[in-house]
Amino acid sequence: MRSVRLALLALALLPAPVLAGANRGEDNVGPLPDEGPGYFGVVLDTDGRPVADARVSATYRDSPAMVTRSNAAGAYNLPGFNKRINADEVRISCAKPGYRQVRVVRRPAPKGQPVRAVETECRLQKS
Amino acid sequence: MPSAKVLAALALGAAACSAWAGDKVLRYGQALSAHKSIYSLPVALAEREGLFRREGIDFRVVILVPGGADRMVHALHDDTVDVTHVATPFLVRAVLAGSDAAAIAAEFNDPIYSLVARPEIARIAELKGRIVGMADAGGSIAFSMRKLLALHGMRESDVRTKTIDGTPARLSCLRGGGCDAVPLGQPHDMLALSEGYRLLGTSNQAVPEYLYTVTAARRSWAAANADLAVRYARALAASFDMIRDPARRGVVVAAIVDITAVPPGIAERVLDLYAQPGRKALPLRGEINPDGVAQVIAFMAEAGQIQPPLPAAARFVDLSYLARAGVR
Repeated sequence: MRSVRLALLALALLPAPVLAGANRGEDNVGPLPDEGPGYFGVVLDTDGRPVADARVSATYRDSPAMVTRSNAAGAYNLPGFNKRINADEVRISCAKPGYRQVRVVRRPAPKGQPVRAVETECRLQKS
Repeated sequence: MPSAKVLAALALGAAACSAWAGDKVLRYGQALSAHKSIYSLPVALAEREGLFRREGIDFRVVILVPGGADRMVHALHDDTVDVTHVATPFLVRAVLAGSDAAAIAAEFNDPIYSLVARPEIARIAELKGRIVGMADAGGSIAFSMRKLLALHGMRESDVRTKTIDGTPARLSCLRGGGCDAVPLGQPHDMLALSEGYRLLGTSNQAVPEYLYTVTAARRSWAAANADLAVRYARALAASFDMIRDPARRGVVVAAIVDITAVPPGIAERVLDLYAQPGRKALPLRGEINPDGVAQVIAFMAEAGQIQPPLPAAARFVDLSYLARAGVR
């Protein structure tokens, strides 16, 4: 289980392309200079199995919500809000038809280092 | 004992709160790239200036990640959003693939992309055999650049193209010497010209009628929420009025500065460029020009993305909500 978990985290820890992808479009704006830490993690069921195609949202007060979908490994990745925003106040939630969210666990950032990305695990239970 | 004035103020406050509490939520999908670009101006201004609130709409922007154009319509179908910003070619593609989505208002008609070249290149004809950094071959920017080349007797095969997504990346290619010319949006084109690069032409010299981006909704959703769709169209129309109102120029410039992070001087020039009388870059009040939709379809056919018989423009639009909002 530990190795599966590590593999999932390794998949989730691929922020650069996904962050770049967030800006891709016909005429993307490129990296944003004022972008704060990104948000990544996995969506799992209560047995620890990855949940694919769950809708994962990051919200901060009345700022626009950012929404993505978990991949086959349950991993998701979202770009950061403005760097002036306190990452602790950003709420991560997940949803999928037939499931209900039961737990959201944020992993503490390493002490004494700048926060580049915030890891949050979201658990769903079949309803 | 509270005074009559205090009681009146409390009553007004309570009335305002109850009106807000009764606002209908409208989830609007947007790609991050659009959210930070000039193309979000009509909607961003409506939100900033309370035009949605005035229509009783609790407007919520949902940034879709990743924001690939096909995903914008998909987000209507999986109930992530109610309406979405989308580039017209991708709406056409989704509808032809079976979606019941339709454009309910126009956001941007004819984007202005400047073909900017190295200082020693004075004319488009001098690009023969040179490297031009192009956007996605199937998109509006490449369509319009091909037309601009043709206007000067050139074909795309006369130049060496390389695909580079994004105005900032194309400007880097020009500056770094990897490209001899590139199409640039605002404000990067203005920046490049101030550095001595040369303007060879603009996209809308070659493409006078177009429909670049729209607000789309599923027909089924719009029919079930017609009043909300009409109120949205009315708020958007008011935003276009504000963009053209000289008395509100400061408000509009401030919005451009906030959205695109450019200095106020550049924001003023961008506004002048888009709001110039006679330019059709912006719709007057969100109206959808069927000729613009037909042009998109024609470009897609030219690029081999759709085959004859070509569909009618009416298949991709629903004008009823604009009409009910008083927009013709």
